[in-house]
Amino acid sequence: MDLKLILEHHIVDKIWTWVAFGPLRLPVSKHLLMMGITSLILLVVFPLLIRSRSGALAPFRAMIEMTVLFLRDEVVLPNLGHKGAAYTGYFSTLFFFILIMNLLGLVPYGASATGNLAVTAGLALTTFALINFSGIKEQGLIGYFAHLVPKGVPLWLYPLMFPIEVMGMFIKTFALCIRLFANMIAGHIVILVFICFIFIFGAFGTAFGLLAAPISVGLVLFTLLLELLVAFLQAYIFVTLTAIFTGAAMHPH
Amino acid sequence: MEALIRPEIGLMFWTIVCFSLLVLLLSKTAWQPLMQAVEERERAIKHDRRSAETARAEAEKIKSELDAKLAELKAEIGRRMDEARISAEKEKDLLIEEARKSAGIIVESSRREIEAQKTEAARDLRSKVAELTIMAAEHILMKQLDHRANTDLASRYLAELEKERPELKLDN
Repeated sequence: MDLKLILEHHIVDKIWTWVAFGPLRLPVSKHLLMMGITSLILLVVFPLLIRSRSGALAPFRAMIEMTVLFLRDEVVLPNLGHKGAAYTGYFSTLFFFILIMNLLGLVPYGASATGNLAVTAGLALTTFALINFSGIKEQGLIGYFAHLVPKGVPLWLYPLMFPIEVMGMFIKTFALCIRLFANMIAGHIVILVFICFIFIFGAFGTAFGLLAAPISVGLVLFTLLLELLVAFLQAYIFVTLTAIFTGAAMHPH
Repeated sequence: MEALIRPEIGLMFWTIVCFSLLVLLLSKTAWQPLMQAVEERERAIKHDRRSAETARAEAEKIKSELDAKLAELKAEIGRRMDEARISAEKEKDLLIEEARKSAGIIVESSRREIEAQKTEAARDLRSKVAELTIMAAEHILMKQLDHRANTDLASRYLAELEKERPELKLDN
């Protein structure tokens, strides 16, 4: 068996068909399906859970509520200041969107849409838009660009600093995109490699394969748990970094 | 494999559209009711807390008032007790004095009565004794009356009398 083919099969997006939308050729793929499922969960299950008054659903309601309140009190308000409360909805949506897409990658027949560079790039672009939107909204267009260079920099350094800061803005976004993508893809690759170990050792002899199997499965289980942690962690990190960048754009000092 | 690192622009577009729509829709359908419920609860908690605090302050005020009143009452009771004790002491002294006085009077009058009775009894006794004596003497005399002896006695007496008082001597 070819490891490259296996990896491609499990990690790379499967495009089923193309839809023309104006000048754009839009793919209909497995990752899009996963994103659709995520959106459906967020649009249908979340409002129902939040509005339900049933006692059986109360723990789920409490989990959503605790997460949102945590994001508001620990992520949004410390970084964005008291004006940030209005952005809580955005950050909550971002967190749950990424989290559920991450978790769908751990479900059988599922795939991590966040393990696709296009998806993370799209998310990073929305963050990029949010940073600039909130900065301009808070300080005005001229004020925002004037405060792009930090205070205390000598005037003659401005021609150098301004392009660096503008570049930094893009680099931050790019790093955000790559970080999420790499973290999600890495776990999958490691799991696939551990499973492939069984067949690699099996090629030496059946006994080797049988010996390697329990060790590999144990390591796969460990990596799966690690991926579960990473799914939450990366969603949190993405949201936190977005909040930090947005806060920095809103309050330049 | 290079498909892994080649971003598909169409999917990026899908992501941005999807996420933007989610932000717009969820802010209305999910986060708004959630935050409303949370704020309502936070407000209720704050309200409860405030009312509990005022109730506690109220209770503390009432307690201090009651304590003050209690102390006042204690002092009042002590004062009343002292007063009562003093007046009782006085009353007691007075009663004892009176009792002693009246006892003295009674004793005095009884003594006097006894004295009077005694003297009367003595007088009675004396008169009775005298009467009895006289009666007894009468009886005795009645029994012993002897004409010759009496005559002798009388004459002897007369002689003696004459001897003593010659002026009385009968001149016959």
